[in-house]
Amino acid sequence: MLKFLKQVGDYTKEVVQSAKYIGQGLSVTFDHMRRRPVTVQYPYEKLIPSERFRGRIHYEFDKCISCEVCVRVCPINLPVVDWEFNKTTKKKDLKHYSIDFGVCIFCGNCVEYCPTNCLSMTEEYELAVYERHELNYDSVALGRLPYKVTDDPMVTPMREFAYLPQGVMHPHDLPAGSRRAGKTPQEIVAETQAAQAKVSAISEGSSKG
Amino acid sequence: MNPGIDLQGTFIESLQGFGIPAGAAKAIWMPLPMLIVLVGSTVAVLIAVWMERKVSAAAQQRIGPEYIGPLGILAPLADGLKLVFKEDIIPAKADKWLFTFGPMIVVIPVFLSFLIVPFGENLLISDVGMGVFLWIALSSVVPIGLLMSGYASNNKYSLLGGLRATAQSLAYEIPLALAVMAIAMMSNSLSTVDIVQHQSGYGLLGWNVWRQPVGFIIFFIAALAECERTPFDLPEAEEELVAGYQTEYSGMKFALFYLGSYVNLTLSALLVSILYLGGWEAPIPVGLISSTFNISDATPWLQVVTGAIGIVMTLLKTYALVFFIVLIRWTIPRVRIDQLLNLGWKFLLPVALANLLATAGLKLTFPAFFGG
Repeated sequence: MLKFLKQVGDYTKEVVQSAKYIGQGLSVTFDHMRRRPVTVQYPYEKLIPSERFRGRIHYEFDKCISCEVCVRVCPINLPVVDWEFNKTTKKKDLKHYSIDFGVCIFCGNCVEYCPTNCLSMTEEYELAVYERHELNYDSVALGRLPYKVTDDPMVTPMREFAYLPQGVMHPHDLPAGSRRAGKTPQEIVAETQAAQAKVSAISEGSSKG
Repeated sequence: MNPGIDLQGTFIESLQGFGIPAGAAKAIWMPLPMLIVLVGSTVAVLIAVWMERKVSAAAQQRIGPEYIGPLGILAPLADGLKLVFKEDIIPAKADKWLFTFGPMIVVIPVFLSFLIVPFGENLLISDVGMGVFLWIALSSVVPIGLLMSGYASNNKYSLLGGLRATAQSLAYEIPLALAVMAIAMMSNSLSTVDIVQHQSGYGLLGWNVWRQPVGFIIFFIAALAECERTPFDLPEAEEELVAGYQTEYSGMKFALFYLGSYVNLTLSALLVSILYLGGWEAPIPVGLISSTFNISDATPWLQVVTGAIGIVMTLLKTYALVFFIVLIRWTIPRVRIDQLLNLGWKFLLPVALANLLATAGLKLTFPAFFGG
């Protein structure tokens, strides 16, 4: 009898404990209800792409020397370089250049290896089309520059997480001119240049003296 | 007690005033409350769906529907319209007739149960003598429809979902009925009107929650399971069973399931508020306020105000419960099938039986508090 009562008591204790945990969970959920929504309301709000964002590739036809390095470094040999050897000038005449963004994986190898820097990454990522062949960009389409998020009057630009001030978790209602955590790339460059100038000045001074 | 507003009587009398015979006047009256309740429950479902989406969004720090009407209030309507216009697909090897009848059998009893839901003393379709029992009987028809559609879909997920729904409904109907039985014992009646009137007079303090706290919890858990809401949404567990018995359904038939599940949700919330939270009774009794200001119960405008307060109170309690149920959805993870059946048979059933026994004992010892 006592053993049975003990079992009942233990069971009741467990029930009370689980009820307590459910209550705790409910209070957490309820607390979330009064917090500000963290979602970015695309297309009315957009995140500002970072400096190293790998978007649609930009291409400058006039800079290209038809070397086909981009084709060789591409994982799937995607860029199509249509050229003809001109015997009189003994140079390649570039006729067409195209990249199919329906197949591109945006790895950026072509941009990395292009000897004349005629390829570069843009911030464009809105590549929705009605038919997949529309994603096959020719040199004209590749030469277009995307509209910047920060210049669009229809869009409220939002900073990405890494560009927020220290301790701030979401980009809404940021005070104007608030600074991101850590140094900016420009500051780092300026600092290293100053340090190098100092080092070279010292070494010059020591070589003279 | 004053009879309050008698809509039926006045309507028939006024029709007779136009020279329509009494029988015909009654026949004209009959479909009206049904129509109102049908439309009203559909609107209630739209509100419940909107609330579910908004509260879910808030709990996840999202905004939820915002641009379809003010605050996205028309989003469920748009959902419904979309489903109406969608193609109705019947799988090639499905049992055509069972597949079509399944959703109907699920939806009809749920709407029929609104027969006994009172929004005021005379604001219900029919004061059936065995009111709550009728609801329990009707709600046990639903699993037949679920099993039917699960079997007829010719899909393993549908069949599993249907079987789970049946097992779950069977397991949780008994504690539900036992909890209702304790209430019926206290109120000496199965009629929903009598049950609410038994709680009236003392405002907040007179409600059945205080006399039946265990019964309230049992009823609430069992009602959650009956509605297949989280944490008991195993029949349509999307991670395991795609959508359970709804997997093969599309268009209007899917809309019927969707409608049925949300009507069931609001109906359960309504019944919890009627059985345990005093139904149309305000936290401070209206009769008390009117008597302190020396206003007679027979004053017409007071009766209209009382009726309006009754409807508002019932809906307020109902939607507070719906809110709570949605909050539970984002708090408690889904239970396993064995945990579900353990909870039903090994916990709720014995506790419900003990609660019934205790209620009987208390009724004999303190007939003044527990209804003599």
